[in-house]
Amino acid sequence: MKAITRLTLLVCLLAAVCFAAVSPDKPQLGEELARSSETSGHYGGHVTIGDRAEPKTLNPVLATDAVSREVTGRMMADLIDINRATQQTEAALAKSWKISPDGRVFTLQLRKGIRFSDGHSFDADDVLFTFAVYMDEKVDAPQRDLLIIDGKPITVTKVDRYTVRFTLPRPYASAERLFDGLAMLPKHLLEKPFHDGKFAEAWSLNTAPTDIAGLGAFRLKQYVPGQKVVLERNPYYWKVDRENARLPYLDELVFLFVGTEDSQVMRFESGDTDMISRLSSDNFTLLHREHDRTHAQLADLGASLEYNFLLFNQNDLGAKKLDALAQKQKWFRDLKFRQAVSAAIDRDSIVRLVYGTRGAALWGNVGPGNKFWINSSLPHPARSLENARQLLKSAGFSWNRSNVLADPSGQVVEFSIVTSSSNTQRMKMATLIQDDLSQLGMQVHVVPLEFRALIDRVFQSFDYEAAVMGLGGGDADPNPEMNVWTSSGTSHLWHLHEAEPATDWEREVDQLMQQQMVTLEYAKRKKLYDRVQELVAQQLPFIFLATPNVLAAANPRLGNFHPAVLEPNTLWNADELFIRNAPETAGVQ
Amino acid sequence: MRTRTRALIALVIGLHVILLLAGLIAPCDPAAQNRRLPYAPPSRLHLHDAAGWHVRPFLYRMVPGSEGYEEDRSQQFPLHFLVRGSGYQILGLVQSEWHLFGVDEPGQFALFGTDGFGRDEFSRVLYGGQISVAAGIAATLIALCAGTLVGLLAGFYGRWIDDSLMAGSELFLSLPWLYFLLGVRAFLPLHLSPVRTFFLLTAVIGLIGWARPARLVRGIVLSVRSRNFVLAAQAFGASDLYVIRRHIFPEVWAVLLTQAAMLVPRYIAAEVTLSFFGLGVSEPVSSWGNMLSTLQQYSVLVSYGWLLAPIGALVITSVIYALLADTLHSHLEFHST
Amino acid sequence: MKFLLRRLIRALLLMVGVSVLCFLFTEMAPGSFFDEMRLNPQISPETIASLRMRYGLDQPVATRYWRWAKGALHADLGYSIAYNSPVAPLLWERAKNTLLLTTVGMALTWGLALPIGIWSASRHDGLLDRVVSTGTSLLISVPEVVIGLTLLTIVVRWRILPVGGIHSLESDGWSRGARVLDTVQHLLLPATALLLLESSIIVRHVRASVVEALRSPAIEAARGFGIPRLRLLWRHALPLAASPVISLFGFSLAGLISGSLLVEVICGWPGLGPLILDATLSRDLAVVIGGTMLSAMFMVGGNLVADIMLLAADPRIRIEEADAH
Repeated sequence: MKAITRLTLLVCLLAAVCFAAVSPDKPQLGEELARSSETSGHYGGHVTIGDRAEPKTLNPVLATDAVSREVTGRMMADLIDINRATQQTEAALAKSWKISPDGRVFTLQLRKGIRFSDGHSFDADDVLFTFAVYMDEKVDAPQRDLLIIDGKPITVTKVDRYTVRFTLPRPYASAERLFDGLAMLPKHLLEKPFHDGKFAEAWSLNTAPTDIAGLGAFRLKQYVPGQKVVLERNPYYWKVDRENARLPYLDELVFLFVGTEDSQVMRFESGDTDMISRLSSDNFTLLHREHDRTHAQLADLGASLEYNFLLFNQNDLGAKKLDALAQKQKWFRDLKFRQAVSAAIDRDSIVRLVYGTRGAALWGNVGPGNKFWINSSLPHPARSLENARQLLKSAGFSWNRSNVLADPSGQVVEFSIVTSSSNTQRMKMATLIQDDLSQLGMQVHVVPLEFRALIDRVFQSFDYEAAVMGLGGGDADPNPEMNVWTSSGTSHLWHLHEAEPATDWEREVDQLMQQQMVTLEYAKRKKLYDRVQELVAQQLPFIFLATPNVLAAANPRLGNFHPAVLEPNTLWNADELFIRNAPETAGVQ
Repeated sequence: MRTRTRALIALVIGLHVILLLAGLIAPCDPAAQNRRLPYAPPSRLHLHDAAGWHVRPFLYRMVPGSEGYEEDRSQQFPLHFLVRGSGYQILGLVQSEWHLFGVDEPGQFALFGTDGFGRDEFSRVLYGGQISVAAGIAATLIALCAGTLVGLLAGFYGRWIDDSLMAGSELFLSLPWLYFLLGVRAFLPLHLSPVRTFFLLTAVIGLIGWARPARLVRGIVLSVRSRNFVLAAQAFGASDLYVIRRHIFPEVWAVLLTQAAMLVPRYIAAEVTLSFFGLGVSEPVSSWGNMLSTLQQYSVLVSYGWLLAPIGALVITSVIYALLADTLHSHLEFHST
Repeated sequence: MKFLLRRLIRALLLMVGVSVLCFLFTEMAPGSFFDEMRLNPQISPETIASLRMRYGLDQPVATRYWRWAKGALHADLGYSIAYNSPVAPLLWERAKNTLLLTTVGMALTWGLALPIGIWSASRHDGLLDRVVSTGTSLLISVPEVVIGLTLLTIVVRWRILPVGGIHSLESDGWSRGARVLDTVQHLLLPATALLLLESSIIVRHVRASVVEALRSPAIEAARGFGIPRLRLLWRHALPLAASPVISLFGFSLAGLISGSLLVEVICGWPGLGPLILDATLSRDLAVVIGGTMLSAMFMVGGNLVADIMLLAADPRIRIEEADAH
């Protein structure tokens, strides 16, 4: 071969190797694309995330654990998205929608000319297919419960190739938020397994990348068992930046299975991973100290939506043979007892010692992190042992000579608090509470239990006295909390399986929650939910403790790093992330 | 007895006495939280200040500063010996308020610093030693008793009892117990006090450990049983019990003692491992295991080195026991043959 | 021959026993795989109940055991709920990594411990012997978790080695040699941890049995005959000391799968350990039982091999067994 030909071939080969990354497809005619309003970046690079464990599946319908949802969430897209920064809904695959005056009918206009990551076009048939899968009883998708309101399913109909109509059995507040996270599935790939009844086996971890297609910013490139999942750019992604360049900027997104949060921090420090979210305050302080060396971007976003609480067992024990516990429930059901406990708890120390001051004390279920729904007029009583003693005295409790508390019938007040042994923060809270209550003369034992054993006791056997647990953190909207506050709800932890509300205030809460669910106007809903918060803070079914701040960190060269309070805190804008040529000089925000 | 053996036995006794007198030696109540002083470094004793040298060492209060803690030089707290402080009990019998040393309130003499709740680490190490060493000894006793019983039965009565017991021991050794212990805690009733729950768990580990001592004892019984004097005794009509008591026990005794000295530190270490999985004694009681389990957090491990104190205590105890075991081994083996 | 047959049958019975006990134990632990979903207020208990039914979790233990046992005979170890895939390939993938680590660890350990043990025994009560004695006592007394954590901190603090995983991220395009080197680098930390943990026990046992052998009447006699020290050690004392050492070797073999659990979890080595631990905590029963059986198989196999080796090596045992039956 002539030298020139060889040289040309070599150059071509080199070029091919260099451009081995998938290039984005240029925006086509007829494609209706969404435009990002973020700072523009440039193409190239990869971002590595450390994860606690492997994802269990790549099937968005079956993904229930956090890691699987994180990975599939980058590969899939939904019709209407909740922007994590603003906490409001925005158009995604549906470019616009109309709501009927009674709030029951949603007509969505899909973007035209959109293609899946394998090039196949997307239209209303895929939407119909997707919802058929979600609603199918044999598939048992957890999302199915979201789409059933009042026992009746939402119906989906196709109006034309790019228009879909959703009919709700009755008006539902913030119904648009339901669409967030409901991934649109490719009919051309999944129809066959679905009809064959083999949907549960579809898109497991060993599936070849060519068999998976989604509308997300990334598509599957490679899965190495026990080590990592690699996603590559989706060349047909339907969003562009301000300069009309198709997103995402990154060539690859790598999920590394690192293990515990501590291992994640170690890898982040050594530069193996580029982003880390939901840091504990101890680790955040550590990274803060190392900041001069690493120049990492650190973000403290303020209070999260999670709420931690002390729960007393007020369940009906009925047929169960738990007599000793039944005796103690006399105390737990006494409002003054709970108020005394709440007054004695040192929330300030919890925030300082457990969250290293990066947290907020809570007296209700909605904390300062939820700026749209918090009832700011609720009182925040300071800690007072005196008040606590008064309350106990007025409830008939008394102290003996060695300051041991006894109830009106003379029984010594002694109980145990169970908590998950794997959650160090809640264990610490339990220890602090134990010490606080010992100053009231109560003998409290802290019993760490393995997580599933704890769940079993709280949900099934009811064989526990008190527990320190946490809930919340999903969405800011009150609707996902229905199951916690309504008396028939499955997360109504202090008194599960109520046939009807056990107290007047629970009846009132039931009514308020049902009402807010169908009230479409925000101001009216807020008033209703404010009253719910007021009742909850007064009646103390949970004794609220504190909430941690949302803490995240990133490689200094990562651009458009905008962590949010809602999950997924750092990856929600993965399509807008890019690698700078020079490090970001900002310090801690 | 050689002086080395005597010295080691004195050391072991000394160690146990120190732990028993934890209340006296520790300046603070191990459960007393000082929430203004979490993760404070060890207190520094001074002999010299602006006014010159002092005979009595003193310390300053630690107050939060720009980077961690700094000393508040406004007030000095001299170290006193034989002070009255928080009450405690020795062996549940003797009530006392005397402490070997201490400082006046609101100063705090934290010899090994404080933990995440501001509790004195030194006091917790001493009290924790009581629990950990007691757990080690208790588990060892249980393991050895169970093992000896099984070994005697297997070795003495032989053939199918032996086969089945040994197969049982192999079964036991094959199961990955760590996994199952995780589930066992959930079983125990919530109403036991934390210390009692813990000893119950210790009993469980002890019972798991019968297999190795059983094999050892069996080996010895087998070898002794075939000796001529035993056969002769049996020919003369000696009962099984007599043979066990008179001939087998003395041999077994020596091995058991050595085994005991070897097993105690191993079971103390097992307590640490259990605590790492949340199965140890629960708050606010301290044990070396649950003090070390907080070090699982990387941030704590690198930032607060003084919390490694229980490792020092653990290593010292284990080395003493191991040396004792070595000496016993050579001493007793020498004499038995 | 009969001896071997009996041992083999015993091994098989043992495996059955392990599987039954395993099922019973996992039954005792409260909670099921889907419990995590209960905490999500948006998932109804009916969904959870029907999921349980679909995976057969509501059936009685006996039925489930029988189904599993039938499958196991065809090398079908069941289905992992968490991974939505059959258990056997899942386990095999991880077992390869574990075996890599433990065989390297075992080679290093025995390679170091055997000579050190023999040498220090031959210079009994000398300076080296005392150093080795105290050193091993120290190592044994520190709990494994602590050793693992300390090593990890040292490595991370001073950035000596990569932490976690088998390969570096970018290793896909590298040459064969570079990849092997990369694996070795990742292997060093967990292998060193294993070395520290196990060598102390082996050194002590080797040393003890060699010392014992050197003191025995046979060696005394040989020494009396004027046989030189080195030859005494190699040709006379060591064969005497062999049997307990061989049993120990058998124990090492037996622990090839299960012995590295803690190290793997702490150092982030993607082997069976973290898989089974995770499965136990999340109640993915098929994986737990499959993994336990695998490790039990190695245990039983290792003991069997040790027994065979003992038989071959020590004529006294051969005679004993022949006499007894």
